[in-house]
Amino acid sequence: MTIVIGFEGSANKIGVGIVRDGTVLANPRRTYITPAGQGFLPSETARHHRSCVLTVLKEALEEAGIQPEDVDCVAYTKGPGMGAPLVTVAIVARTVAQLWGKPLLGVNHCIGHIEMGRLVTGAANPTVLYVSGGNTQVIAYSKHRYRIFGETIDIAVGNCLDRFARVLKISNDPSPGYNIEQLAKRGTRFVELPYTVKGMDVSFSGILSYIEDMAERMVCTGECSPEDLCFSLQEVVFSMLVEITERAMAHCGSQEVLIVGGVGCNVRLQEMMEIMCKERGAKLFATDERFCIDNGAMIAQAGWEMFRSGQTTALEDSWVTQRFRTDEVEVTWRD
Amino acid sequence: MSTRCCLYADSLTNDSKLTVPFPSEKLAWIAQRSLSPDPEPRKGGISKHVSVTDSILNVSWMADEARILRVSVSSFLDHLALVLETMEAFGPPSVSGLK
Repeated sequence: MTIVIGFEGSANKIGVGIVRDGTVLANPRRTYITPAGQGFLPSETARHHRSCVLTVLKEALEEAGIQPEDVDCVAYTKGPGMGAPLVTVAIVARTVAQLWGKPLLGVNHCIGHIEMGRLVTGAANPTVLYVSGGNTQVIAYSKHRYRIFGETIDIAVGNCLDRFARVLKISNDPSPGYNIEQLAKRGTRFVELPYTVKGMDVSFSGILSYIEDMAERMVCTGECSPEDLCFSLQEVVFSMLVEITERAMAHCGSQEVLIVGGVGCNVRLQEMMEIMCKERGAKLFATDERFCIDNGAMIAQAGWEMFRSGQTTALEDSWVTQRFRTDEVEVTWRD
Repeated sequence: MSTRCCLYADSLTNDSKLTVPFPSEKLAWIAQRSLSPDPEPRKGGISKHVSVTDSILNVSWMADEARILRVSVSSFLDHLALVLETMEAFGPPSVSGLK
């Protein structure tokens, strides 16, 4: 029996999860939500995490019904992500690991998403679309690495959506992406936007500049509504993601797709991906918002896999890093 | 046992020193290991050294400018407070009332 506790705080969510041999015992989380029209800055986000991480940790232990002695390993997000919040969470993980006398394990955030997706859905060897506010990558496993087949060459798709939400002052509660999705359902007009797939990669900063420019103008003149813009933006960016996922699937001869990351909660994205999968006779896997959105249990789960295959992180090597490529990690727990 | 910290700063040389007494050497070392792995966010203009003698955590800074020093000392104090809170919540019984 192996119990791992995982700490996640690379963006505006702070979560502590506890996993025991494939079962999630606890997964409490708090989100730092800024007023509409504002994004979250590193120092304020770190302050938010500092103020509630210990409460969330206590909640996790209580919900799981375990004591610190029962924990076998303390996992935390090494990166990628925002510097100040990452450091805050790492400091707590290092401290409890030492207080409880347990080994420490630095986990790659993207791999946390992948491993939780695999656990929850049971997908055997899928082409993974990892889409969030901070990351947009198409990943497939090969020879002990999660290889990146396609990615954004500038900003993440979630970043594009979040920053667009700010222009229209869409609420950030519970998340800007969720509110864009709800508005999009009421859109009736498709507005032409740039479509920027670059081979196996995608680009979103041009679309964002374009839509930021035209949004105010078009809504003022009544040419289209915010709902139409939300609808159009989703249709365009999601089509691009489906295209590069399909390209990777064709390259790998894959019959499974797994969507992970906060943007993966979006039902319209799942619908569009399902259409493509059906055309190819492939199967689509997705998780619900408990695991799509950043959470502690995903770090615990990846940590569980890594720990059981013999990995740990020495304290002097436990520094956090804002840049941490998914293919930098040796996947010792798979064949 | 008194847990008085001492923070000293020199406005001419932009150096600073901080001493933090802990209830035990073990706890001082835990703090040192939790607070030293991350490099300073700023690429240059600041250097920080965290060490332990007996049960006292010693931190010393050298900076090019006062504002750079202020930022580094300020975040260190926030992180130190977090370590102390964590020790208070999850450490051995002797640790209550640390702050």
